Amino acid sequence: MTASLSAPTSRTAWLERWLSQLPAPSGPLAAVQERGREALAQQPVPSSRQEEWRFTDLSLLQDLPLAQAAAAPSGGAMSSEAGVLRLQLDGRTDPLAGVELPAGLQVLSDSELAQGLGHTLAATGCEHHWPVELNHASAGRVLALRLASRSKLKLELHSTAQSGLLPLRLLLILEEKAELELCQKIVAQGSGLISLVLEAHLARSARLQHGLVASGQADAALLAHLAIEQEPESHLALSSVTVGWGLARLEPRLVQVDGQASSTLRGLQLVGGRQIADTHSHVSFAGPEGQLDQLHKAVAAGHGRSVFNGAVQVPRAAQRTNAAQLSRNLLLSDRARIDTKPELEIVADDVKCAHGATVSSLQTDELFYLQSRGIDSDQAAGLLKRAFCEEVLRDLPPAARAWCPIEQWQLEDA
Amino acid sequence: MSNAQAVGDLVSQPYKYGFVTDIETEKIAKGLSEDVVRLISSKKDEPSFLLDFRLRAYRQWLQMEEPDWARLGYPPIDYQDIIYYAAPKQQDKKASLDEVDPKLLETFDKLGIPLSEQKRLSNVAVDAVFDSVSIATTYKEKLAEHGVIFCSISEAVKEHPELIERYLGTVVPTQDNYFAALNSAVFSDGSFVFIPKGVECPMELSTYFRINSGDTGQFERTLIVAEEGASVSYLEGCTAPMFDTNQLHAAVVELVALDDASIKYSTVQNWYAGDENGVGGIYNFVTKRGQCRGDRSKISWTQVETGSSITWKYPSCVLQGADSVGEFYSVALTNNCQQADTGTKMIHVGPRSRSTIVSKGISAGRSANSYRGLVQIGPKAVGAKNYSQCDSMLIGDQAAANTYPYIRSQQPQAAVEHEASTCRISEDQLFYLQSRGIGFEEAVSMMVSGFCRDVFNQLPMEFAAEADKLLALKLEGSVG
Amino acid sequence: MIRPDAPVLLEIRDLHARVEAKEILKGVNLTIRAGEVHAVMGRNGSGKSTLSKVLAGHPAYTVTGGTVHYRGENLLELDPEQRARIGVFLGFQYPVEIPGVSNLEFLRVATNARRAQKGEEELDTFAFEDLVRDRLKVVQMDPAFLDRSVNEGFSGGEKKRNEILQMALLDPLVAILDETDSGLDIDALRIVAGGVNQLATPDNATLLITHYQRLLDAITPDYVHVMAAGRILRTGGKELALELEERGYDWVDQELAALAGEVA
Repeated sequence: MTASLSAPTSRTAWLERWLSQLPAPSGPLAAVQERGREALAQQPVPSSRQEEWRFTDLSLLQDLPLAQAAAAPSGGAMSSEAGVLRLQLDGRTDPLAGVELPAGLQVLSDSELAQGLGHTLAATGCEHHWPVELNHASAGRVLALRLASRSKLKLELHSTAQSGLLPLRLLLILEEKAELELCQKIVAQGSGLISLVLEAHLARSARLQHGLVASGQADAALLAHLAIEQEPESHLALSSVTVGWGLARLEPRLVQVDGQASSTLRGLQLVGGRQIADTHSHVSFAGPEGQLDQLHKAVAAGHGRSVFNGAVQVPRAAQRTNAAQLSRNLLLSDRARIDTKPELEIVADDVKCAHGATVSSLQTDELFYLQSRGIDSDQAAGLLKRAFCEEVLRDLPPAARAWCPIEQWQLEDA
Repeated sequence: MSNAQAVGDLVSQPYKYGFVTDIETEKIAKGLSEDVVRLISSKKDEPSFLLDFRLRAYRQWLQMEEPDWARLGYPPIDYQDIIYYAAPKQQDKKASLDEVDPKLLETFDKLGIPLSEQKRLSNVAVDAVFDSVSIATTYKEKLAEHGVIFCSISEAVKEHPELIERYLGTVVPTQDNYFAALNSAVFSDGSFVFIPKGVECPMELSTYFRINSGDTGQFERTLIVAEEGASVSYLEGCTAPMFDTNQLHAAVVELVALDDASIKYSTVQNWYAGDENGVGGIYNFVTKRGQCRGDRSKISWTQVETGSSITWKYPSCVLQGADSVGEFYSVALTNNCQQADTGTKMIHVGPRSRSTIVSKGISAGRSANSYRGLVQIGPKAVGAKNYSQCDSMLIGDQAAANTYPYIRSQQPQAAVEHEASTCRISEDQLFYLQSRGIGFEEAVSMMVSGFCRDVFNQLPMEFAAEADKLLALKLEGSVG
Repeated sequence: MIRPDAPVLLEIRDLHARVEAKEILKGVNLTIRAGEVHAVMGRNGSGKSTLSKVLAGHPAYTVTGGTVHYRGENLLELDPEQRARIGVFLGFQYPVEIPGVSNLEFLRVATNARRAQKGEEELDTFAFEDLVRDRLKVVQMDPAFLDRSVNEGFSGGEKKRNEILQMALLDPLVAILDETDSGLDIDALRIVAGGVNQLATPDNATLLITHYQRLLDAITPDYVHVMAAGRILRTGGKELALELEERGYDWVDQELAALAGEVA
């Protein structure tokens, strides 16, 4: 191991500066803000010396403007369409102002919020993660909703960041047999950091289909924690797509509190230029007969770096778990890099756990097959790359799928 | 379920090699210091380059911290409470086996490794190492006719200092890791193999390590060099008595393969594993690495790990040469409170280098069995290929099977593929075999060896049966 | 072939058994003599597969009452492997796959275990290969299957042929074939049934467990038993199977209801 001479002062100076410039804690999250700031002041900025951050360099953050972003021109509901609630989240204004909530959807009361906020973060073991504390320190607002038992809803959340810091905080409670289709679009149009922390609790037999599409730019970063608790017989389908970020770190964290639930995880991350995309997923089965179907895909071109770490924990209580994880990576440039690491920890004998990982370029025999049918090599390569991505995109809810203009994405070695 | 219980009982057989040989031993005082390093070197009458090598390593070791990333649970090791040099009291190495203390010969007889002319294996040359000191090497003359050098490393230091100086520490540098640095400072003995250009070693070579002493650390050093076009198959076996204290075993093995050379290194490790409560047993913290320096060279590791209280080892290949090949085949069986953190590193540097990893972990009792591997494809490794498969078999619901396969690739014209699965011996499979007249024990044993078959197939013929026997031994006993 | 003076091979008396807490067999009586072919028919859930598992000694089933004697010996106190060695064979409905264990080795170990029991000498690898190649003909099986793992990746028909191959090697006195016809196409059924017919002798007996008449077209039973609710409800000759084919199982329900009425 090479000894790296760290200069802690210069590495964390930006953070201290940022903390000192934050407005005084206020609003419903004042206490959370205070705790987050204290934690950040004490916790070092993650570095490559920590296993969890070994391949992901956060130094981009120090060059980003981190003043709280100005409110976007329009807040609140964007439009109403039968059966779909469409909200704009800008971290400042009330997304629900002037919105008539559809039947079954309620805003959590202050006391419910105090009780529920942070619960799932703790249950999934990430309440003190640095990106979470960063969100805690800065988020002034939380969208906290409850979907009543047996209600069905389609919800769209749109966030566009111009410049600076945009902290987003969400808390969703799905009661028994509630069904939510959540499409979330995050776009960075300027230099800055978007910090997302989402907590969702799925009661028995609830269903959540979440499609997150986040597109950024080279001087923008995304740090997202998606923490989800599932009770028995609930269904989760969580799909995320990140493209174009200078730095994107996504941490989907699930716990099946009594097993017997089903979880489907899909991820697609695209990196080119000097971008870094990192997904650290963590799935824990705290009871028997849980199911996991996870597919993570990455495409790395240019000098891009893609990191995937997929932890799956199957303790003794989780007999008859059936978990499958696959990490598939397309490496398109000899200056790009892919690091992938499944992590399986099993202490139960009657389980099916399989995982796999592949890293390669496009298959020459597939290319050849297309070429032999008269398709030129660039076109053939394009087709194959799109097909590679499509395997994840097709599992997005239709609205979110429409936000992925795959034809326009830079899948070339720029 | 009663069957699960029975399977668990089956893998909990008493250790067969736990006896202690009562023999006078020369030991130095406990503790480690620069003086101790100098003392070891002077006892062995070493040239100055080797003393410098040891001192450099010792100073580096002082600066290093014991690694904790493998999350192995063991109480802190007091490095001042270990004896760093112990040798059976017999003057120098004997020219002929007749002069070796009969107690030692008897010990190896009991271990199934007869050394005497009449009884020794006909096609395997053996270097027998007893408490860090090589006591006999068979077939030396016959091997010398082919230009093959096979002797203890102490002897090699005296007879072939130029080879030792040229190769020692070039694959595992002194500062490589905490335990390698410690070994480099205090290593006592081990085996040296040199296969000259173009020679195919005429017989299997084998070193048998026997730990006898209760408070002595074991620090063997093995170096195998295969020159251009040379090839050799080498096997290492290990046992130790049962003590209720832990002994530290921190060996270093270095392999060098030049152009077109091939080295096959097999290990059947059966150190004492501690009792069912985890008391006693060997801490096996070993650094094994091979360098495929030459084009088209090949290094193949096969290991059957059944013993030790804690195993921490990653036999690795640095695939420098173009078209070089690295292989790792492993069976690790853990039971009771054993912990094994084992796997491999395949570092692809050269173009079209290829590697294969097959790992089979069997966890029983309250043991923890982890596969930890790294496959790294460097930017120049155009056309490189890796295939890894790691399977775990769980016996009982208290054993842990962990898998941590790291993959890093920086070369698009390379393909890496990793697959892993878990399984158990299902009641239906057991019943099926039983309903065809096959007894419970044999049925379990058949399934376990079927699970390990891909690895056993890689062992040299002479030892495949031994490994199967060893596993069967661990699996034999009363049906619960 | 019915010979009243033939020795009794299997004698089942008032057999009760349960799996977990559920009682499935509720008093089965059946006597099988050498040379006979018996067919047990019945709906899914009638207990016929349970009967076969209990006879072979599957650990998931607990016998709660009654006796089973095999050539005068108490079968129920023997381990599954002992039952196999003395000549009781179960052909599974769903033979399991056992990855890693070579089919050839498996067959050899099993055959030798049976031979040792009979006091015959064990066969070495070469002698066994000769034997197995000869027996392959019984089921027209490709020798390539010998080199694969036990049942791994075999099609349904291949698995069933592998079962009959095992029967040919183990030379049982009582062969219980559980739904051997399920999942077989016409050709495979013909081959499998042909194998069973070839192996039948005046000294051994066959117990076919089946749902359908079509197997009985190929293997003619001496007795047909209809099982329902854990008991043998009626016994007849081969014509009983044809009657079942024609009338279905509805009359069984009526008879059961009548029985329940009597009891009440």
